[in-house]
Amino acid sequence: MRRAMVASMLAVAVAATAGACGGDTTDKSAGGAKEIEVLYKTDPTWPYMDKVLKQAKTDYEAAHKGVTIKLSPVQGDNEVYYTKLALLNRSPDSAPDVYLHDTFQVNADVAAGKLAPLDDYLKTWPDWATQYADSVKQAAKGPDGKIYGVPISTDTRGLWYNKDVFAKAGIQVPWEPKTWADVLTAARAIKAKAPGVIPFSMYSTKPHGEAATMQGFEMLLYGTPGGTLYDDTQKKWVASGKGFTDSLGFINSIYRENLGPKQADAFDPKLGDKVALEWFPEAKLGIDLDGAWVSSAWKPSGTKPWPEWTEKIGWTPMPTQNGEAPGAVSMSGGWVMAMSSYAKDKKEGFDFISTVTNKKNTLLYSVSTGDLAPRKDVAADPTYSADNPAVKFWTDLASVTHYRPAYEVYPKVSAEVQKAMEAMTTGSKAPDAAAKAYADSLPAVVGGPDKVTAGS
Amino acid sequence: MTVTTVTPPRLAGSPEQGEPRRRLRGTLRWLVPLGPALVLLVIFMAGPILWSVYIAFTNETLTGAASVNSHFVGFANFVKLFGDEDFINSFLLTFIFVIGSAVIGQNTLGLVIALIQRGRGRVLRGVVNGVVIAAWVVPEVVAAACWYSFLAEEGTLNELLGSLGLSQDWLFSAPMLAIILANIWRGTAFSMLVYSAALSDVPSDLLEAAAVDGASGWRRLVHITLPLIRRSILSNLMLITLQTLAAFGLIYALTGGGPGTASQTTPLYMYEQAFRYFEIGYGSAMALVMLVIGAVFSLVYLRLIKVDA
Repeated sequence: MRRAMVASMLAVAVAATAGACGGDTTDKSAGGAKEIEVLYKTDPTWPYMDKVLKQAKTDYEAAHKGVTIKLSPVQGDNEVYYTKLALLNRSPDSAPDVYLHDTFQVNADVAAGKLAPLDDYLKTWPDWATQYADSVKQAAKGPDGKIYGVPISTDTRGLWYNKDVFAKAGIQVPWEPKTWADVLTAARAIKAKAPGVIPFSMYSTKPHGEAATMQGFEMLLYGTPGGTLYDDTQKKWVASGKGFTDSLGFINSIYRENLGPKQADAFDPKLGDKVALEWFPEAKLGIDLDGAWVSSAWKPSGTKPWPEWTEKIGWTPMPTQNGEAPGAVSMSGGWVMAMSSYAKDKKEGFDFISTVTNKKNTLLYSVSTGDLAPRKDVAADPTYSADNPAVKFWTDLASVTHYRPAYEVYPKVSAEVQKAMEAMTTGSKAPDAAAKAYADSLPAVVGGPDKVTAGS
Repeated sequence: MTVTTVTPPRLAGSPEQGEPRRRLRGTLRWLVPLGPALVLLVIFMAGPILWSVYIAFTNETLTGAASVNSHFVGFANFVKLFGDEDFINSFLLTFIFVIGSAVIGQNTLGLVIALIQRGRGRVLRGVVNGVVIAAWVVPEVVAAACWYSFLAEEGTLNELLGSLGLSQDWLFSAPMLAIILANIWRGTAFSMLVYSAALSDVPSDLLEAAAVDGASGWRRLVHITLPLIRRSILSNLMLITLQTLAAFGLIYALTGGGPGTASQTTPLYMYEQAFRYFEIGYGSAMALVMLVIGAVFSLVYLRLIKVDA
């Protein structure tokens, strides 16, 4: 008896640890009526997409009788959203019909045949030809030259700084750093003259995922002479060169000289919220290397309304390493609305995408998120720049911006970059050792040594 | 927890059946009630387990081209695994975590609480049991939140230590200690219950006789109580080891495996590879290795405490 009991307890324990995994199959066409399932991300501190899609759903359902839009929000940060989407996309039964998609994930899904090309539908949609600049149209272009998503947002990156902190540190505003050294000098001055203030904040650890690679590392690397992750002419990934090591060196200086956030904060997935909701409003942070959207939290409709921000906060481009032309660097990415190749009602799906990305809804999205508008008519609308004096600056950064080599293996390359950055954050490796580790791991990640070229 | 099987009385005067028939009826008697559960188990457990064994030998991913045309790669995932510094690190941390929080922490503390409680008043037992079990009953995430608020930089512990100048960010400076303590706190109730039940089976006349013969409390524990409950010790050790090996939620919510990889036990590393970097094949290979490690632990226990069945 006792043995049987132990055996049954073991079985229960094993069952509990193995966990249950079940897929929910939703009935996509109940009673003949069509249903389009839309997947997107939302968060208590980022409720904007939710608002836009609810408005789009109302508009769409009023105009298209017999079609229901089923909104499926995913709670959490970007990383959680990528995982959820990848899992749902494994089976045609669970894949959402239409979804919000980060441009850097698009190529992986094109390679897997999970996205539907939209070219045939775009031809019938006049806005595509008139309202989207050619550079914006590239956002979700597959290797086959087809378009796999309609942009809802684009962005640029640069430096935000707190003018009160700068005044305390005796630094002139407007601040216009010309080189990395200027940035470090300012950070050191803040450390020396404004005790209790974090001089400089950037994303540099794995919990921040792609944000660390793009807002952090690439903003440095693409500002070094010839610095890039991917050589477009040779079509090869670039093993670490001098620019790579120097970029790591910058991060290393930040943390070794205690110019950055405390280690615990550097690893906190909510670092971005701390910067926007606490540190900047409370004048506890000097400089932040981040995206154009940081100020969106301070709008009257934002999560931390702070009307004084337009006086207290400054913004300036991230300089290149030694002031090399064009003098500034920026990275751009963005999000698109994409359609699954498994979607049954593709025509209706595209109609919904075009509703979400029409002028009214894109305007609502851009004004609330602070992301830059991909549509010309939205960018020209007075409400777009009404309570955001910085928006013109961020939009103009497009002239110096770079795009990520968002090929299929990019997310894995990005993960390797994060490892190197994290080693700088904790100080577990020297910059050249971390750069060497990156170069060593690259061939396995990108699919062979023939796809790698030595860095300059 | 105890399942009593009541054999239905044989109908008097039922006609004699042939031997095979009777055997069939005997089989049906347990198969029919067991059937639905068996089918569910096969579909929802055996299926996924077999699938994960299979994909451990493929280059399956969650996104990209390999997610639709994965192919067999033999032992490549396992070869990669044993050359992977991060895996070795996670494996050592898992070992420390299991030994520290389960084998030493929960097991010993559970036994001590059960021993102290023996023969105490009902009220005291009720209160102690209630407090210990409450920690076990709260959901993992709630337990993690409690410990987070206790250990965090502006947390209770630092408030208490502040006057001594010892305050620091514990989750950052001592992440392994934090997750081990949190897991002991949460899991001790299970061991305590197992041992309370086992101790109540130890005949008191034996202990009294030993006491009359002059055996000290310690000798009575080592020579009478422990040998009598060793089967419970074995099953308890096995259960908590397997549970702790697979512990994920508490660590994930408390430290996320960080800072860096300082508290990234194998289940967390597995999750990161499978669901952050979408290498589900690699993650499954790791899961298989974990399974083997669980089996090895169980074998070690069986050898250490020889059970005469």
